[in-house]
Amino acid sequence: MKNSFYAGVATLALVAGSATAQDLKFTPGEGAFNWDSYEALKSMDLSGETISVFGPWLTADKALVESVLAYFEAATGANVEYTGSDSFEQQIVIDTEAGSPPNIAIFPQPGLAADLASKGFLAPLGEETGNWVRENYAAGQSWVDLGTYADANGGEDLFGFFYKVDLKSLVWYVPENFEDAGYEVPESMEQLKALSDQIVADGGTPWCIGLGSGGATGWPATDWVEDMMLRTQPPAVYDAWVSNELPFDSPEVVGAIEEFGAFARNDAYVAGGAGAVASTDFRDSPKGLFASPPQCYMHRQASFIPSFFPEGTVVGEDADFFYFPAYEGKDLGKPVLGAGTVFGITKDSKGARAFMEFLKSPIAHEIWMAQTGFLTPHTGVNTDVFTDPTVRKMNDILLNADTFRFDGSDLMPGAIGAGVFWTGMVDYAGGKDAGEVASSIQSTWDSLK
Amino acid sequence: MDNIVGQRSALTWAVNFAVIFMVVLWTVPTFGLLVSSFRDRDQITTSGWWKSLVSSEQNIIVRSQEPEKNVKDGDLYVLEGNIFDATSGEVRAFGVNSREPMAFLPGAVAEMAKGRTMTVAENGDYRITSVEEMTGTRGIRIFATSVTPPKFTLDNYERVLFSEGIWRSFINTFTVTIPATVIPILIAAFAAYALAWMEFPGRALLVAAIVGLLVVPLQMALIPLLRLHNSIGIGKEYLGIWLAHTGFGLPLAIYLLRNYIAGLPREIIESARVDGATDFEIFRRIILPLSFPALASFAIFQFLWVWNDLLVATVFLGNTEEQLVMTGRLRELLGSRGGDWEILAASAFVSIAVPLLVFFTMQRYLVRGLLAGSVKGG
Repeated sequence: MKNSFYAGVATLALVAGSATAQDLKFTPGEGAFNWDSYEALKSMDLSGETISVFGPWLTADKALVESVLAYFEAATGANVEYTGSDSFEQQIVIDTEAGSPPNIAIFPQPGLAADLASKGFLAPLGEETGNWVRENYAAGQSWVDLGTYADANGGEDLFGFFYKVDLKSLVWYVPENFEDAGYEVPESMEQLKALSDQIVADGGTPWCIGLGSGGATGWPATDWVEDMMLRTQPPAVYDAWVSNELPFDSPEVVGAIEEFGAFARNDAYVAGGAGAVASTDFRDSPKGLFASPPQCYMHRQASFIPSFFPEGTVVGEDADFFYFPAYEGKDLGKPVLGAGTVFGITKDSKGARAFMEFLKSPIAHEIWMAQTGFLTPHTGVNTDVFTDPTVRKMNDILLNADTFRFDGSDLMPGAIGAGVFWTGMVDYAGGKDAGEVASSIQSTWDSLK
Repeated sequence: MDNIVGQRSALTWAVNFAVIFMVVLWTVPTFGLLVSSFRDRDQITTSGWWKSLVSSEQNIIVRSQEPEKNVKDGDLYVLEGNIFDATSGEVRAFGVNSREPMAFLPGAVAEMAKGRTMTVAENGDYRITSVEEMTGTRGIRIFATSVTPPKFTLDNYERVLFSEGIWRSFINTFTVTIPATVIPILIAAFAAYALAWMEFPGRALLVAAIVGLLVVPLQMALIPLLRLHNSIGIGKEYLGIWLAHTGFGLPLAIYLLRNYIAGLPREIIESARVDGATDFEIFRRIILPLSFPALASFAIFQFLWVWNDLLVATVFLGNTEEQLVMTGRLRELLGSRGGDWEILAASAFVSIAVPLLVFFTMQRYLVRGLLAGSVKGG
């Protein structure tokens, strides 16, 4: 009875599995894609190999990543099983600890990849991959550095390969609302603040800010602070802060937190008042842009946020973005904050190695670029495949940046960057003193050393 | 009649009131969720469930049809249509500018830039005129304050069951829950009989050990157990989670059933022995039928616990379509669809439907079973 039941489950699984196989989105040989790199993949024969890929991408992103994986499957004959989870961070730790990891893990934060590497759960990618990244990625060395971690014995090695970059320094707005009110897109932080004051003077509310995100409540505020850090301090100070050479409670950092507070703790600036900031879900907060009359005019959030806009919103027409500007008076250039996802090998196999080779091929980037929401530092790709003008605009922001810095909280140790930094920012938004919050974060950091 | 057993307390009304208050307090949120799960998604975001029976007033932004579809009418270029697509409604006010979305009453003519005018009638018909020919494919924004009648729909359930993958997870949860309820009961019933009625050395110690196991937190065993499963080749499969739930459920099951079975009248069992029945026959013909209430009450416990479990499923099953259970799916929905309340409300009801059904069909055994062994002693 039990056996036949079990067999029934297995058959069900097989049926469902075969139903999800999908076709190639763009016909090979057509369009501006680098089809040569696709043809080159066919030299790897992986028929019969199954490669499991585990990552944080769900729903729309899952469909996108699967459309890319389909090309790898078609070219090599391998079977790639992608699974996504909202609790990726917890699950990958369980799986690696218990000895049932996927072949490839997609880390949303380098910090987590570094943790696993130091426990010996990641396989080094090798010198050859490092050289490849140095040569083929814009600012290659910095991507190698971001993917290089200490292994179980303390030796440094390249463990993480960056694929898909998000841009964080963006302000979203509704162009037609700006037009109705006669507002101009600000070019500098001074203008942005003047615009915010003007909106208040006109009886409106300039900002929608929401920090809520379930267990990760507070993270949107860390992005604000990082952006403010880059706009008030030179990049070297930012780097020192991220590595804690500069203590968290030093005046530079407290100043950046207070710059964030100038927006988030100003009742007139934020929809719902400062008290609503910590309790509003970050997924709900952009909706105020589209209300009638508008609950707010601007929303600072990363490039992924259009997924949470009301259904039917066309980015570029109904909603658009501008670069979160820097102070004109501070001469720090145009800093850009970004983040990226790291691919690492959690269970080595011939297929996993081949998969990493696939990620180096331009086609792996172009398929996603040609759809939506994908930015890449790969210099070998043909940017003509960007169909979405907004993505091209984002890539321009990336290319025009004087300074590119990776999301600091993702680089800090997990207990800080995915712990007290988040909760501390919630406390700060709730009215606690910036210096007090910063020193309590620093004391946690001290206890980790 | 009132005074047969004792004096009726003068404070009975206070007790009754407190009970009613508690019941209402506990059921109101659930009821609200139930109402919300049937409401239209636009109405959920504009008014609370308690207003679901009255017409709701909301400010909407609608786009007219493409300006290039304008028709020449005399000297003017005209664009006409209705702001309520398939739905019905009533316009209370309209506007042409996001700053004053309620500037005009229905029927009034609003002047716009570039010599355009707009008018919106009460039934939602709009007419935009322009001196010059209009071009472009992006409709002109019309701001309206509309009153829409209450609307209830089954769309949310349809969407949840057929396009969000809940149905698949529903089946997965059943695949986990049924064996994970049946296997521990089978084992525990045998063990409980043996521990209650079969004499063997060390029996008391064994019972003590099982009672001791009740306090061991299962969280401690998760990773080592998964490691064991991986090394003996079970891996992350259904078999693994059945075994895990069986193991985690057994101490309570054995303890509960043993206490009940030990309380059955000694005479029945002894006379069966005298008649030559073997232990297995006694178990099958006498013990099992007599201990049905205890079996049923444990079945309810175990079923509800496994049904609602997220932790064990997260550890012992993968996240693939074929293995993701209901609780896991709901967690994913909270992340990816956290803003879509109608989906969450409907999902919640799909997931509690089965536990409710199980509880109401078997609750009469629950009370009897809970009393198992409590007065008779072990």
